[in-house]
Amino acid sequence: MGQNTVEPSITAAFGFLTAVDSPSHGLFGGYLLVDVAGRPLEFHCTAPLKVSRAQQILYGATLHSHLHGQQIGATLLAEGTLQPQVVLTDLESMLHVRPHTKLPVALVVRRDTPPNASSFFVGTACVSPPSDHPEHASQLRAQVEMLVASVDLCEPFERIRAAIEEAQRH
Amino acid sequence: MEDPLIQTPLGSAVPGRMRSWHLAKCPLPAVHVLPVIAPRFSRPARLRLPVDSATPCVMRVPLIDQRPAVQSYQFRHAPVPPTPWQNISPPASHVCISDLASAPAPASAAPKPKRTRILPPRDVVKLGERFFFLLQPNLETILETSHLEFPRQPFPFQFDGMAFLMPRHGAVLADEMGLGKSMQAISSLRLLVRSGEVRRVLVICPKGLVSNWTREIADWAPELLVAVVEGDPQRRRWQWSLEDVPVKVANYEVVVRDRELVAELGLEFDLVVIDEAQRIKNRSSHTSQAVRSISRNRSWALTGTPVENSAEDLVGIFEFVAPGHLSDSMSPRAMGAAAADHVLRRTKDRVLKDLPPRLNRDERIELTAEQRETYRRAEEEGVLRLSKMGQGAAIQHVFELILRLKQICNFDTATGESAKLECLEAELDEIHASGRKSLVFSQWVETIGRLRGKLSRFGALEYHGGMSTAARDETIERFKHDPRHSVLLLSYGAGAVGLNLQFSQYVFLFDRWWNPAVEDQAINRAHRIGAVGAVTVTRFLSVDTIEERIDEVLRQKRDLSDMILSQAEATPGAGLTQSDLFALFKLVPPKRSAA
Repeated sequence: MGQNTVEPSITAAFGFLTAVDSPSHGLFGGYLLVDVAGRPLEFHCTAPLKVSRAQQILYGATLHSHLHGQQIGATLLAEGTLQPQVVLTDLESMLHVRPHTKLPVALVVRRDTPPNASSFFVGTACVSPPSDHPEHASQLRAQVEMLVASVDLCEPFERIRAAIEEAQRH
Repeated sequence: MEDPLIQTPLGSAVPGRMRSWHLAKCPLPAVHVLPVIAPRFSRPARLRLPVDSATPCVMRVPLIDQRPAVQSYQFRHAPVPPTPWQNISPPASHVCISDLASAPAPASAAPKPKRTRILPPRDVVKLGERFFFLLQPNLETILETSHLEFPRQPFPFQFDGMAFLMPRHGAVLADEMGLGKSMQAISSLRLLVRSGEVRRVLVICPKGLVSNWTREIADWAPELLVAVVEGDPQRRRWQWSLEDVPVKVANYEVVVRDRELVAELGLEFDLVVIDEAQRIKNRSSHTSQAVRSISRNRSWALTGTPVENSAEDLVGIFEFVAPGHLSDSMSPRAMGAAAADHVLRRTKDRVLKDLPPRLNRDERIELTAEQRETYRRAEEEGVLRLSKMGQGAAIQHVFELILRLKQICNFDTATGESAKLECLEAELDEIHASGRKSLVFSQWVETIGRLRGKLSRFGALEYHGGMSTAARDETIERFKHDPRHSVLLLSYGAGAVGLNLQFSQYVFLFDRWWNPAVEDQAINRAHRIGAVGAVTVTRFLSVDTIEERIDEVLRQKRDLSDMILSQAEATPGAGLTQSDLFALFKLVPPKRSAA
């Protein structure tokens, strides 16, 4: 792991942040904190946010970044009692949470073409560190190495979605 | 010349001379409205409209600035405690970290390995508890990161079985024989012990399977200490009291005998697993009552035949698993629906596509002339006696006659002749020459003894309930490892359950049991996971005898279990009732004993 190695700790937490748009209920946010073996430590989810047509028009192209970044992302990250090493999200618009948190937030996607040059592949996932925070890149890489030994980085988002679907049925 | 009209942002037109603040201050006596398209006019037409001087309504569109409510959940560590970071070995599928330049081709085309989710049971209703299960990593990941070693990689359906058992407090694992029910139960309880969710486990099984269970636990959970509760009362008291042994194994008879002792010691178990759970199908039996009296938090029942004779069998098992959940008055369909979340049943043909085939053949045997004569006499005398008894005839009288006739089908009681034996010897000659092994099942220990004498050239060994556990274990070892022994003679009672004899490729049912489920269990000693080739099952059936008639009734009965488990309506009278037994001799049952 070289010089970037982060001191491993069995109490280290990793955050997974995403949102689920339900046509019937609205927009839900979910934030899962797992340990280094991928087991859940905390889960936070929002009540659904409903956006009116007028709000959609007024916010225009900025709507998703506002909802994901400020309304959902920032709210959820503030609820966590554990301090994660890194917060991973699978939604590009969720990266707008960065101005509202001191935590490093990175994008994880399953796709062939990564969004920026400092990205790296982990199995079938591609991790993109924040381009405006280059100092986070090397640290992020080391942290991901710690987690990836036990967790497929895209898999916890499926858990969050399953939990939110369950919440809708409940 | 009039000023040219100009378009305002509101879409109306005003004279061109009006600019900026003029526009605001001007009293605006009129607004000129131009039609957008007016091809008939050479110049724009003007309409004069009065302007309402009242203040226009203002519509307020609120900003999205109210933070959504958040629900938070915190979880205890489970199902497996943390593994030190340095011990985590990366799973093969997603460990490679690479830069873009050196990145391998995306693996999206490769088939995704199967991942097994632990889903919450239906009776877990609190959202936080359901989240606990839904947010766990998949089972494969849990096992990979917990460094639990297995003697072999479990099959995908066995992972499903573990994911079914682990979250359930009441469960019936009803897989067909040979699919590894014990292994799934042991692996599941191992994970629960590792996570600290379970600390005291009791396994209850038939006496003949105790050593099998200890062996399997040693294989699948080698780190777990096991105590077998057996011996004299003093020894058993000491074994029951052991606190630092997480798993205790006891047979059903010991549990019945020590019922009061267990209560006196105030023993409470986090998990009780009962093997061959059909043993407690009769709710009023001492066995059922003793098992159900044990204080426990989780109850798992393992059985390949949850419905042996009637739907009531399943109700009896559920009295242990989830008391009151099923009732006798339910229709098979309703019972199937109510039991669905607690029962998992898989059959070999559905989950083990690669298992060697099972070839069934009915060998119809003509009795020898002497056998036929003995048989005819015995039947005529027996039926005559039953007829004379009239209303005094009881079910045990019919049973006695059936047993006598079946014994004659095996060996002529007068001459010792046996058409079946002749056929069996011919078959075994060929099998023995090819170096293969055979299992021969019979209902009677006496028949087994006779066969052993006749089949000594095949090194035939006996295995039945009249032998001690140690002697039986030794027999299995000899049969398994000594090539001189190519035939094992087993009684249905002792040999039909729990044994792993998958190295045998031939099974002979020398005589037929009353229940097809027990026959299936016997056959599945050989036809199970690990079977090296096709398993040939030969069922001997004496032509034009009671055996043929019983076979006909059993054919009707065979699918009852599947019908209930698939929530289908059962056909009435599918079981072997008292009426059926009397009907074998074309007799009408007396009114008081009619089924």
